[in-house]
Amino acid sequence: MSEVKDGTNNEEIKQEKDQNYWRSFAELHKDPALIASSHNEFQEGATDDFDPSKLSRVSRRKFLALVGASAALAGVGCSDYRDKGEIIPYTKMPEDTVVGKPKYYASTFNYGSISQGIIIKTREGRPIKVDGNPDHPVSKGKINAIGQASVLNLYDPDRLQNPMKKARSGEFLKTTWQQADSEIVNALTANAGKEIAIISSKILSPTTKKTLDDFAAKYPGTKVYSYELFNDEVRNSAWKKCYGTDYYPLIKWNEAKVIVVLEADFLGVDGNKVENSRMFTEGREVSDAKNFNRLYVVEGNMSQTGMNADYRLKLRPDAQNEFVLSLLKEVARRTAYELPIDLSNFSLNNFAKTYSLNTKKLKYLVDDLVNNKGNAIVYAGRILSENTHIAVNLLNDILGNTKLFRTDSDVYSAQPLSSKEELESLVSDMNSGKVGTVIHFDSDPVYHLPNDLGYADALKKVPTVISLIESANDSSAAGHFTLPINHPFESWGDAKTRTGFSSLQQPVIAAIYNTREKEAVLLNWIGGANSKFSDTMYHEYLMKNWESNVYPSLKSRLPFKEFWYGALQEGIVLTNDSAKTFGKFNNSALNGINKTNSKLSGYAVVLNESYSLGDGKYLNNGWLQELPHPVSKMTWDNYASVSQNTAKTLGVESNDKISVTIGKRTLEIPVLVQPGCADNTIAIETGWGRTVVGEVGKGTGFNANVLLSKDAKGSAWLFTSANIKKGDGSYKLVSAQEHHLFEHSPNDNTLGERHIIKEGTVKEYLKNPKFIAEMSEEAPVDEIYPKHPGYFTGVKWAMSIDLNKCTGCSDCVVACIAENNNPVVGKDQVAVGREMQWLRIDTYYSGSEDDPIVSTQPMLCQQCDNAPCENVCPVAATTHSKDGLNQMVYNRCVGTRYCSNNCPYKVRRFNFFNFRDHFRDGFQQKELLDLVYNPEVTVRSRGVMEKCTFCIQRIATEREDAIREHRNIIGANVHTACQDACNTNAINFGDMNDKNSEFYKYRNHELGYYVLEQLNVKPNVTYLAKLRNTHSEEV
Amino acid sequence: MSPDYTKEITLVQGNLTMADLDNAISKPMNEKPGRKYFIALAFTTSLLLLGVIGVSLTFFYGIGEWGNNQPVAWGWGITNFVFWVGIAHAGTLISAILYLLRQKWRTGISRFAEAMTIFAVICAGIFPIIHTGRPWLAGYLIPYPNSHHLWPNFISPLVWDVFAVSTYFIVSLMFWYVGLIPDFAVLRDRATTKIKKTVYSLFSLGWKFSNRDWRHYEKTYMILAGLATPLVLSVHSVVSFDFAVAVLPGWHSTIFPPYFVAGAIFSGFAMVVTALIFVRKVFDLENVITMDHLERMNKIILLTGSMVGYAYLMEFFISWYSGVPTEQYAAINRAFGDYAWGYWIMVSCNSLFPQLFWFKKFRRSIPVMFFVVILVNVGMWFERFIIIASSLQRDFLPSSWGYFSPTWVDFSILIGSFGLFFTLVLLFTRTLPVVTMSEIKGVVEGAQPSHHGGDHNG
Amino acid sequence: MANKKLHSLAALFKTPDEIINAAKKTTEAGYKKFDTNTPYPLHGMDRAMGMGQSKIGFVTLFFGLSGATFIFLFMWWCYAASYNIVVGGKPFLAIPAFIPITFETTVLFAAISTVVGMIAVYFKLPNNSHPLHDTEYMKAVSADKYGLVIEVEDEKFNKTEVTEFLNELGAYKIESIYFPEEEKHRMFEPKFIVFLIFVALATSGMTYVTLNKLMYITPFDWMDKQDKLSAQDGSNIFANGEGMRPPVDGTIARGYMPYPYEGQTNPAQVLSNPTIPTKQVLDLGKRKFLTFCSPCHGNFGDGNSRLQGQFPNGPTLHSDKIINYPDGMIYHIITNGQNAMPSYARQVTRDERWAIVDYIRVLQRAQNAKESDLTSANKESVSNVQN
Repeated sequence: MSEVKDGTNNEEIKQEKDQNYWRSFAELHKDPALIASSHNEFQEGATDDFDPSKLSRVSRRKFLALVGASAALAGVGCSDYRDKGEIIPYTKMPEDTVVGKPKYYASTFNYGSISQGIIIKTREGRPIKVDGNPDHPVSKGKINAIGQASVLNLYDPDRLQNPMKKARSGEFLKTTWQQADSEIVNALTANAGKEIAIISSKILSPTTKKTLDDFAAKYPGTKVYSYELFNDEVRNSAWKKCYGTDYYPLIKWNEAKVIVVLEADFLGVDGNKVENSRMFTEGREVSDAKNFNRLYVVEGNMSQTGMNADYRLKLRPDAQNEFVLSLLKEVARRTAYELPIDLSNFSLNNFAKTYSLNTKKLKYLVDDLVNNKGNAIVYAGRILSENTHIAVNLLNDILGNTKLFRTDSDVYSAQPLSSKEELESLVSDMNSGKVGTVIHFDSDPVYHLPNDLGYADALKKVPTVISLIESANDSSAAGHFTLPINHPFESWGDAKTRTGFSSLQQPVIAAIYNTREKEAVLLNWIGGANSKFSDTMYHEYLMKNWESNVYPSLKSRLPFKEFWYGALQEGIVLTNDSAKTFGKFNNSALNGINKTNSKLSGYAVVLNESYSLGDGKYLNNGWLQELPHPVSKMTWDNYASVSQNTAKTLGVESNDKISVTIGKRTLEIPVLVQPGCADNTIAIETGWGRTVVGEVGKGTGFNANVLLSKDAKGSAWLFTSANIKKGDGSYKLVSAQEHHLFEHSPNDNTLGERHIIKEGTVKEYLKNPKFIAEMSEEAPVDEIYPKHPGYFTGVKWAMSIDLNKCTGCSDCVVACIAENNNPVVGKDQVAVGREMQWLRIDTYYSGSEDDPIVSTQPMLCQQCDNAPCENVCPVAATTHSKDGLNQMVYNRCVGTRYCSNNCPYKVRRFNFFNFRDHFRDGFQQKELLDLVYNPEVTVRSRGVMEKCTFCIQRIATEREDAIREHRNIIGANVHTACQDACNTNAINFGDMNDKNSEFYKYRNHELGYYVLEQLNVKPNVTYLAKLRNTHSEEV
Repeated sequence: MSPDYTKEITLVQGNLTMADLDNAISKPMNEKPGRKYFIALAFTTSLLLLGVIGVSLTFFYGIGEWGNNQPVAWGWGITNFVFWVGIAHAGTLISAILYLLRQKWRTGISRFAEAMTIFAVICAGIFPIIHTGRPWLAGYLIPYPNSHHLWPNFISPLVWDVFAVSTYFIVSLMFWYVGLIPDFAVLRDRATTKIKKTVYSLFSLGWKFSNRDWRHYEKTYMILAGLATPLVLSVHSVVSFDFAVAVLPGWHSTIFPPYFVAGAIFSGFAMVVTALIFVRKVFDLENVITMDHLERMNKIILLTGSMVGYAYLMEFFISWYSGVPTEQYAAINRAFGDYAWGYWIMVSCNSLFPQLFWFKKFRRSIPVMFFVVILVNVGMWFERFIIIASSLQRDFLPSSWGYFSPTWVDFSILIGSFGLFFTLVLLFTRTLPVVTMSEIKGVVEGAQPSHHGGDHNG
Repeated sequence: MANKKLHSLAALFKTPDEIINAAKKTTEAGYKKFDTNTPYPLHGMDRAMGMGQSKIGFVTLFFGLSGATFIFLFMWWCYAASYNIVVGGKPFLAIPAFIPITFETTVLFAAISTVVGMIAVYFKLPNNSHPLHDTEYMKAVSADKYGLVIEVEDEKFNKTEVTEFLNELGAYKIESIYFPEEEKHRMFEPKFIVFLIFVALATSGMTYVTLNKLMYITPFDWMDKQDKLSAQDGSNIFANGEGMRPPVDGTIARGYMPYPYEGQTNPAQVLSNPTIPTKQVLDLGKRKFLTFCSPCHGNFGDGNSRLQGQFPNGPTLHSDKIINYPDGMIYHIITNGQNAMPSYARQVTRDERWAIVDYIRVLQRAQNAKESDLTSANKESVSNVQN
């Protein structure tokens, strides 16, 4: 608009603005009325619908609405349902199968020299969980961690899937069974006259033994060798010398009042842990605290048994011999017993001085032994020398403790282990070319046998080396044929390790890959060149063997077929072979055991069996690798544990490497400073550091077998005067738990005032049964909120954990993982504290650094009534159920992790990654591993919080049953996975409102306490305070 | 109001006329930005890009990309959130509270402070979303009707946060926009190009400077200020509830709300000063944003800084007085534990250095105040980090104690958030008047009728 | 005047004092439809123009309070009514915990309503087509001048008079404001329609891709597809693609001893019935009988087949032969099949089979019931209750 000088002058404006459009003729003719109206029109604003321009503007405004509508339409209309995969029913429905309902098979699981009766839970014909067989006299329904985790080995993607033959290039190429069989049979027949060496781990199955014998019959020159990395040979030979019978008898741990173990981890790896723990804790029933047994442990490194000791004396292992002799002398003096040998130059007091043993504890020990004649047992570890064992036998003998040896059952061995000499001769034969074929019968001698035996080199001189194994190992790599064998869950078999019964092994799934039972392979070769292999070969062979060799001796009334079916169903058969009785102590055994060892110098090095990995066969098992060490909580690696002082003298700290040198053998391994470890003692666990292993085991730990020697004196696992130097560099060990040392006793400041641990002594308890309750100063807070109607009135789930029975063995942790589909996160993630185990065993040290008191405490979601986690969840993804469960709704979870922050127990676990994808990039997403997951439990996605659910899937099953059977839910019918796994029945679970249930007793026990009860979160897990059976009331 | 207020300090120096003001303020919007500007922009955007990379990694692989773990499930994500929310507080505080208090000196800086509020809230708002494990489900925090009849858990402080922060954002945005309407109108009428004109008229909503409108306008502005003031205080109290409501030793404390609010104002003012120091120089607005403004802000920094310092001491007293071992341990651990280094950085930056402002010389010296406010920004970030990390790392059960150490992704996201903030600030300075024109005109000499026949009703 | 309509006359003044004075005068002169425009609010102008306080505060109050009540009740409703979940043992009406949100919502409602009220209701904005826009006058007042406008609508309006009046007031410049031209759009410009269609397609396409494809690629995980193998899932591990495996031949699951007389016709000995015919058992038996047996044997076991001869009729179950069968024999026939009847072992579990046997007995008894049965039946039912 142009500049306007003053309002009166409109002419110029008119000219300029003349090219206006006109809207109507009337307007064109300047009808004043219309002008007026057109003014009004503007006064009224946008109300006049007759104005087309307005209309058009409205339509413009509709524009967005239109767009929005079309978008919404598109969203709704186009959303198709994604393909959830098709339903694939059985083509031929097996009888007695209800899809979605589990079936249970009794079977047997052998590892090392231990055979365990198991119940395998299968879904749709796939094994998904392993538990103990309640009918098995040894297992009594329990099974150790390795057994629990063995199902993961079945689905290990690194298993061999086809027969392999080494090509000239040195790599293994896939071949067919027919091909391999014919070549091998030719080879076997060809080098007749030459030796065929079958090298096996300990043979527990009579039928396997028979197969081998038949094989030997067919192919003369066959020799069978068997070995175990750790075995009871020393103990047994000592026993044989003393009493004449072959095997050290079994012990009535449950009847012993005083147990003195010398470097013997009988609650851990020394012997059948499951049985020992059970029997040991039978002597720790809070219901009769008067008759608590008392456990003395004299050991070098803090072992799992040591953690449970009432009195623990630490002593370098190579001094044990002198200790026993001194003890022997002292006891003889006290009991006025005429010793058949001269121990004049031994004295317990001097010994105590030299090794600075706690004299008070020592006095208690001697007193107890003397005062409990016949009810005490002294037990020496398998790694100690024969002389020590003989001395211990004598000690037990003069104290009349021999009546604690079991007479109902005895060790049975289908095939004794080969002696050192046999193996040496084998190697020399191999070197001299006398051996034509070596068959590794599910064994790994290259890794296990001492290097200086020279087995690996000798193997190169053998024309045909065959390995029958599940997955490649060091020995198979050195061979020519690698033949994949079935996993135990795919195989028929039997086992006999005790007199009085044998157990049967049946497959629960047909071979997943192109594998065969190891016995079947041999049978096929026995058949010669033109034998037709069939999958049922060994099955029939087994039945025939039982029909002809076992069945007749049993005088069963049933026809064999029914007997056999019954036996399979039960998993075990009671036989009528009885234990051997042993005679009197034979004094000639004592010759020369009384030589004094001069004051020990240098370091003692002791090799122990790994708690989780056995002899290394399970190195590729993620669950076991990530299972925190029962004592040190270390994962994924082995280490050398040393005492604080030793570390100082060596000038190292945890994670620093040291080099252990014994003779010419050297090992570089990182150090862990272990409270309670004896000075100048290095304890190393074996089983790690295999060079040929699958994805999971790759690069974990160090091979401690290199320290083994063929000419080790006394014991193969204990070395004295070793040479230790600070190694170069360090290696990051990762622990699932920080360790801190606390005040004098667990009831002192940090633990006590925080109400984490409450402990006492038997004496205290007997004096005042209420003393635990009196420990907490706060009066229980009253609820300020009204009760929610219908809540906690019916069934209310709760758990009680008896810390008197918990040995801290961590088997429950593996059971939990297997039941609840927890992923393996890997070392790097454990290092930053992201392990996914729902259940952990907390370990607390108190007392002094070098002589600590250890308290263990399983920690899982406490299912608090006033759960702090629930309050803070912004999306109500964790809420409370009427039956007292703190529920976690995975699908609703956004992953703010606020609940974890607000959980006082820090038992919640967060999927920081999709660990299945993150671990060994995508290893756990291989399809084979899908089969291991429990179909009843969600596989959680990344970004979701999770935690212990009290095995809600099992509760749901019970609810379904109750509904179907028109009854109420019975608390006792539900067992959590950890409860099933607990060797010692420390864990009890059930309905806390069921007044007449067994569980109710534990839940409301006077020793019961809640962790952090001062927070008034009202946990539903009761802990029964640990009572230490000490002499005085102080711990 | 009485003219004395305007006399108190000369709000506009070098007696500029209104026209001059308009020119000065709208200059950046009319002329093409120089090379320096683009260099600055390139710098901030590259920081932003770094953050984007970090966030996308986190989004794709999960929170595992960060240092978070058990037990320290919250790390830098929430630290940054609280930090930025804190920064956000100064803006509204300056504009609203000072407006209610008739502090006319606010006019120079209010617009800029409000802008910073909004940008800071944007930065803050990002973190709660990306710190979740499954960000694509963050919508669950909003109460919307759904087939499961599932609602958020209204008693969770995180939901309070959602309401508080979003309310705060919306209200500040409106407050800002209402203040902008007349300026948009001014720009509209000054606009030279067609696009500018249309855009500005769009936003000015056709404002006519009519006095019939002005009276509603002033009332509304007053009401908004009145609403914003308690809102500011509430928002950071709610944020502090995230911690105070938890059972965690070191979090579970009633001192948190005032402590956090003071801290927020503290850090917010520091951030505003930091930015203003540059803005007044770069856009030569020294006459509008005068040294007196800065000095006054420094006084407030001194005050709030001391309040924060008092809170630090109080924490020790309370934990000792509570007699709860875990609480006492948490306090000790905070000062002498694994995070002692962070703690002492925090204490020195927040409580010691601001004490320099007791001296007028320092209050009015650009280098000193710059040094101090930077330290304050650092210190306040550390305060949030220490509160979160040191309490979480060692709580009730020693068995589950841990330590948090950040990854490069943590760093990239923190840096990225600063990139975002300053990018927005830069864009703002070129697109909108950094000073409220209509207000500043109202306070120049002789802007108001000389003879107030007692007929002003404020 | 020409074809342009006058909207108003606008006068410009230089100082605040002048405009205040002008405003006073104009009011006194009795003009109603006039307005003053100033670059910033002038103190005393409201009074000068004879305007009272703004009422907008009431809007704030009303909406603020309603916001508070709404959200508080809403939260309570969510917990107590809509989906009552117990969280941390707190009551459904957790008043202290509701306070923060209630407060925030109050502020939110109040603020939004105030601003919206001011803009939309009081200012009647947005309105960019007001005649005053794009005038020199507007440019002046938006910068640093003070203006006064008297509109044509004012009944006292008379162009010349007003002009004089304004001059008297000392306006340094007077401008006539005209209505701007109405820009006109036709309802459906083809360009616009095309654009609309394009946008619709684009948005719908994007929505579709997002909702059905994008949201299901990594990292998005809704846990609808899990790595585990549920019942009747497929698996590529096994040659036949079946996830479900048959048990290995010869294995015995716990509690599933194989049937000893399998394959035998008329076995010498048979199992004895382990069940007690309680009500539950009979109910089960009835269900299963009606499902599996009745098609051939008829609902009452009278051989009245439903299959209309497409399959050889099942015999009646009331023949003496069958009545005299031992329970085990019937069980055997169900398990093993007989003549044309196949084995039902795969469809019917063991206890279901026994339940069916029991039910068949009931049917047989029902066919020829005796007086005495009634009482004994009562007895039985009593005993069932005890079971």
